[in-house]
Amino acid sequence: MSDIPITAYKCKKCGKIHYPFHDRCLKCRAREFETLHPAGQAKLLTFTQIFNLPWGFDERFLIIGIGEFENGVKAMGQIQADDIAGLKLGMKLKPTWAPIRRVYDENVYGLKFVPGA
Amino acid sequence: MRDVAILGVGMLPFGRRDEDTLMDMLAYASMKALDDAGLGNGSVDAVYVANMGGGMLQHQTSIASSLVDRLSLLPAAAETIENGPASGASAVKNGMLAIASGYYDTVLVAGGEKMREVTGWRATDFVATMTHPQAEYPYGITLPGMAGMFTRLYMEKHGVTREHLLAISLKNQEMGTRNPYAHVEMALDREGIYDSPHAVVNNPVAADPLHLYDLCPVSDGAAAVVLCTVEQAKQRAKPYVVIAGFGQATDTHTLAEREDPTDLKAVTLAAQKAFAMAKLKPSDVSVAELHDAFTILEIAESEHVGFFKKGEGGKAAAAGKTRLGGQIPINLSGGLKARGHPVGATGVAQVVDIVWQLRHELPENRQVKNATVGLTVNFGGFGNNVLAFVLKRVEA
Repeated sequence: MSDIPITAYKCKKCGKIHYPFHDRCLKCRAREFETLHPAGQAKLLTFTQIFNLPWGFDERFLIIGIGEFENGVKAMGQIQADDIAGLKLGMKLKPTWAPIRRVYDENVYGLKFVPGA
Repeated sequence: MRDVAILGVGMLPFGRRDEDTLMDMLAYASMKALDDAGLGNGSVDAVYVANMGGGMLQHQTSIASSLVDRLSLLPAAAETIENGPASGASAVKNGMLAIASGYYDTVLVAGGEKMREVTGWRATDFVATMTHPQAEYPYGITLPGMAGMFTRLYMEKHGVTREHLLAISLKNQEMGTRNPYAHVEMALDREGIYDSPHAVVNNPVAADPLHLYDLCPVSDGAAAVVLCTVEQAKQRAKPYVVIAGFGQATDTHTLAEREDPTDLKAVTLAAQKAFAMAKLKPSDVSVAELHDAFTILEIAESEHVGFFKKGEGGKAAAAGKTRLGGQIPINLSGGLKARGHPVGATGVAQVVDIVWQLRHELPENRQVKNATVGLTVNFGGFGNNVLAFVLKRVEA
């Protein structure tokens, strides 16, 4: 079991990996999947630093990116960094499961990438 | 299917309209369109209203039912259509199909949104509800953030530069100064937002690599069109505009699941379908209104609809090819960037602006001479639901 409690779905017919869930495969429309979790390190596919945050965030900014795990799962997550100066497309990221926001004074957990793993 | 004409159009100036309710704006724009159609005291068979946020921002639902009552159009059929920022074009499409099918003869389509009465972070959150509720939204991603991630990849793959993005900002805000309906009527100075040390303050990073002036404003506004059969339009004995083609296509909800996130497949497919139906091609277009919620989108859409090859759209904009008088003038209204983006109204407003172009009714500093064919692209979500229309002038 991965440390990252995200469930992804691999089509039993064509092998396409999905995250999030789809009732039918995006490639072949088959309906049977085996589940898998993100495994290994992630490669940074793209990222941004946003300064105009939506309701529910008190931070000055957020750094958000999309990572591709070693088993092919692709997912969005926050990136733990003080700025984006050290970030580069294709770099390795260490995935963690950490608080990403607070709702009604409770932590909400999600994917948080740590650069330079 | 029957051919469908646009009999009348109307729009309110976009911006901050504290004095008007959402229903006021929809009603005023609709009355203008009805008057323009010669139906000031007349009736329509159906009313379609495009609105994305009435339920969330104004705590108001069943907006179309309310509008027919307000306009004394009872007992016309009425429906509200919510399709994110593509709601406007979706409503026009549904009105068009209703007439094309032969079921209705005259349809009013109105689009409106009132976004400025909530705080900026509430408005940002409202728009972000389009993102995936488990895989994207909880992380705090916003639509500018999605555009920032897209821009970084587009720059990497297709060579778009900040100079290219700047060309869109400068052009569209200049056009906004010529458009009395535009939210932002302020020309930008290159030095002030790009070249000088002051640019860091004047034009800060909003969603890296996008800066403040790469983003459209949050706006209030409404626009409306009256659709009818071609036979009705002919009775007016003057040039009119027909919907020669439309196309719609969808793409994955999350950006992460696209094989190539820089490939806006839904834009390509929607435009191809619209051109095929109209039996026209991109080089036939005289003027276009593309969905430039972010400067990068005008460049990317200009390539995906077929005006330019991939990697050439930014260079073309910087070379002035998309300005008035250029090879293919784009967003002479100022686009979303300057006209503003009241989300439910935008797709309707794009059609209104193209109708004015094709009827040759705009002042010289915005009018494409002898314009005959126009294209609109209304972009929902982050490209996961896109509609395109090809509009054509018909001489009486």
